[in-house]
Amino acid sequence: MTTPLPCYHCGLPVPSGGRFQARILGETRELCCPGCQAVAEAIVAGGLESYYRHRSESSANPEALPKALGDELALFDRADVQQPFVSHSGELAETSLMIEGISCAACGWLIEKHLRAMPGVGEAQLNLSNQRLRVRWDDARLPLSQLLHELRRIGYAGHPYQADQAAERMAAENRRVLRQLGVAGLLWMQVMMASMATWPEFNIDLSAGMDSILRWTSLLLTTPIVFYCCTDFFRGALRDLRTRHLTMDVSVSLAIGGAYVAGIWSTVTGVGELYFDAVGMFALFLLAGRYLERRARERTAAATAQLVNLLPASCLRLDQDDQPERILLGELVLGDRVLVQPGALLPADGIILSGQSSIDESLLTGEYLPLPRGEGDSVTAGTLNVEGPLTLQVQALGDDTRLSAIVRLLERAQGEKPRLAELADQVAQWFLLIVLGVAAVVGLVWWQIDPQRAFWIVFALLVATCPCALSLATPTALTAATGRLHQLGLLITRGHVLEGLNRIDTVIFDKTGTLTEGRLALSAIHPLGALDQDACLALAAALENRSEHPIARAFGRAPVAAEQVDSLPGLGLEGVVAGRRLRIGRADFVSALAEQPAPPIPGQNGQWLLLGDSDGPLAWLVLDDRIRSDAAALLDACRARNWQVVLLSGDSSPMVAEVARTLGIADARGGLTPDAKLEVLRQLHSEGRSVLMLGDGVNDVPVLAAADISIAMGSATDLAKTSADAVLLSNRLDSLVEGLAVARRTRRIIIENLTWASLYNGLILPFAAVGWVTPIWAALGMSASSLLVVLNALRLSAGGDQPRSRHS
Amino acid sequence: MAALYVMIPIAVIIVALAIWLFFWAVDSGQYDDLDGPAHSILFDDEDPRHQAGVDEAQDDDKDPRA
Repeated sequence: MTTPLPCYHCGLPVPSGGRFQARILGETRELCCPGCQAVAEAIVAGGLESYYRHRSESSANPEALPKALGDELALFDRADVQQPFVSHSGELAETSLMIEGISCAACGWLIEKHLRAMPGVGEAQLNLSNQRLRVRWDDARLPLSQLLHELRRIGYAGHPYQADQAAERMAAENRRVLRQLGVAGLLWMQVMMASMATWPEFNIDLSAGMDSILRWTSLLLTTPIVFYCCTDFFRGALRDLRTRHLTMDVSVSLAIGGAYVAGIWSTVTGVGELYFDAVGMFALFLLAGRYLERRARERTAAATAQLVNLLPASCLRLDQDDQPERILLGELVLGDRVLVQPGALLPADGIILSGQSSIDESLLTGEYLPLPRGEGDSVTAGTLNVEGPLTLQVQALGDDTRLSAIVRLLERAQGEKPRLAELADQVAQWFLLIVLGVAAVVGLVWWQIDPQRAFWIVFALLVATCPCALSLATPTALTAATGRLHQLGLLITRGHVLEGLNRIDTVIFDKTGTLTEGRLALSAIHPLGALDQDACLALAAALENRSEHPIARAFGRAPVAAEQVDSLPGLGLEGVVAGRRLRIGRADFVSALAEQPAPPIPGQNGQWLLLGDSDGPLAWLVLDDRIRSDAAALLDACRARNWQVVLLSGDSSPMVAEVARTLGIADARGGLTPDAKLEVLRQLHSEGRSVLMLGDGVNDVPVLAAADISIAMGSATDLAKTSADAVLLSNRLDSLVEGLAVARRTRRIIIENLTWASLYNGLILPFAAVGWVTPIWAALGMSASSLLVVLNALRLSAGGDQPRSRHS
Repeated sequence: MAALYVMIPIAVIIVALAIWLFFWAVDSGQYDDLDGPAHSILFDDEDPRHQAGVDEAQDDDKDPRA
């Protein structure tokens, strides 16, 4: 099998016989679908084609964005709908939009440039970290719906954004942490100058008065560091002591608190060493480490956490006279009748009153083929209506829907997630016990020898052994590795992933959308009559181009146009191409045109569509879900690590066994409900296994939440992304293979760092115990060991190959 | 040495000012997006005014050699 050409816009494979092209940067490029083509043409037409030169990642596939209907966007022009998120000042309105579809920094440039060129837009500013766009525009000239539509045209979806409390708290927290870091840095520089002047090593001939002034100045400047910047350490230490744990926070608090108290003592009495500069240095180094780690983690959390929209924002309600009216989902009540157009998500659980269609439940159940549904059948909120319009009677809303039941299962599963103990905390515990033990012994011994010096030596010991490098060891390595993985397209959203990946021994895969691409593609054409494959495809494409059906996308753009195309839900399409009446769809429906009996379906897997005219059938067209081209490489990597591989799918078709056979997975189970999947995971846990889960659908969500480590595909539902520990943004399984290697390297670097930091502390211990360590030596040793740890961690971001530039 | 009696209070006042300035910068959101500006500078070469500046600079380079 040859690897398919990647789409120039979104990087997905171009279907065979691709017909979508666009002229970009002076060359004709192959594109995968009409969506990409439209977006690429809009970008080129807007004079912004150098976007393609600048970008470092493929763009998002525009058809992966949630559907937006014209009249749904128009709802946003209603003043009462706008009121919560649009503010007006003078003629200009201002709002924040969450942008979906951003893949790299060039997207920000594209969005800002495009919007600023629009008449009526005063200002457009995209925050790349949290993917929020702030726009100020004249809404008399340009309605909000038009603005959202323009974003769509260049391939992004904008959603009105209202900061919820959690997001606001997180933003406030970020600023607070940054302020603490800044204050520590600025004050430390001053404290250092003042307190260093008192050190005998510098041989400054200070008068007693000046010495005392410098000491008091240092005390004055150190106090905010301790009470403003270091509150988190003290709070953490208190919390850990209450739960009877000795952690890094306890160690750090002891050193900072000790040095500060000793400093006050020496300032007031005028005798003894001054350790104020050490306080500032600890605070700055430790806060910097934590800030970096926080930043790396939160960027990713912010990008995925805010959009959990499994349900459409609005729906069409039928009034007494059967007239549809678009309303917001929140306005819907039980017993309402709702019209669901083909291609739209079902807004609520309900029963079909009229209409015939098929429903795509793949996200909820993992079934990869749409299932036929008709009058009287029950349907579930969050599933996709594929073919014909349906009228539903609403039976359950909001918290009572089946979808919410899965979400509740998720909450329960989260509580079951095993906690992986962090390496650093284990080390810290031993370290602290040893230091405290040694300090007690040294204190006692010196008490016998020279009670005057005992106090200072114990303090010097505590300060010199502050686990500064030790507590930088993990955050710096994790930060560097997270950045490296981000380049690879693997976004780490929770901290334990990198350390935990090394303890995994079992991996669970979902099938639809994870190992396979999760969308139907044309896999084969079997001609039955005189016409060859290309001619049959051209005729089929001509018909399908007139259809809104998601299947229609698989056919590509037709060279000829069809006329009088009629869609018969559940059956197929009928139309005229070049004077010839054709049908495509179910075998019996197509054969009926030629008044012949339907031929039997010759194969098993996939969806078989028959194409025929009034003389009889012309060809079978097979649509199937393709296995990702890099799935085999990932499975090889898993086997190379001796992991047990399990395939769990909600799909009950023979496709599960087929995929398992192709990829060589021994343990494959199909037709599982979310509950049953969770049960399998519990079983594995009870056998003492550590499980990595890779999935994408809503039905995987409980397992994603409960697995030791979970990774969601970038194309996954928002709920799956938020409940996973990492998101594979690139959707390329081979970046995961590389990610596993980075995780292994990270663990090695963390261990190196911990070893070095402990070694330094172990070496300085005897010197401190005999009283040779003065503040200057403590400061030198501390900064040297911290620097070494940071430099060692930086090897992770520089290591490996450079990010591939696939677009040059 | 007497100068230190003036310099130390001045240092304290300056650091207080610096902290105030830093707080103001944080609160006005200048640190909220640490990724975007780093990249946007690279896209400047699309800006016609920037382009004009580059051309001019290149012309200047050539002149002495000509």
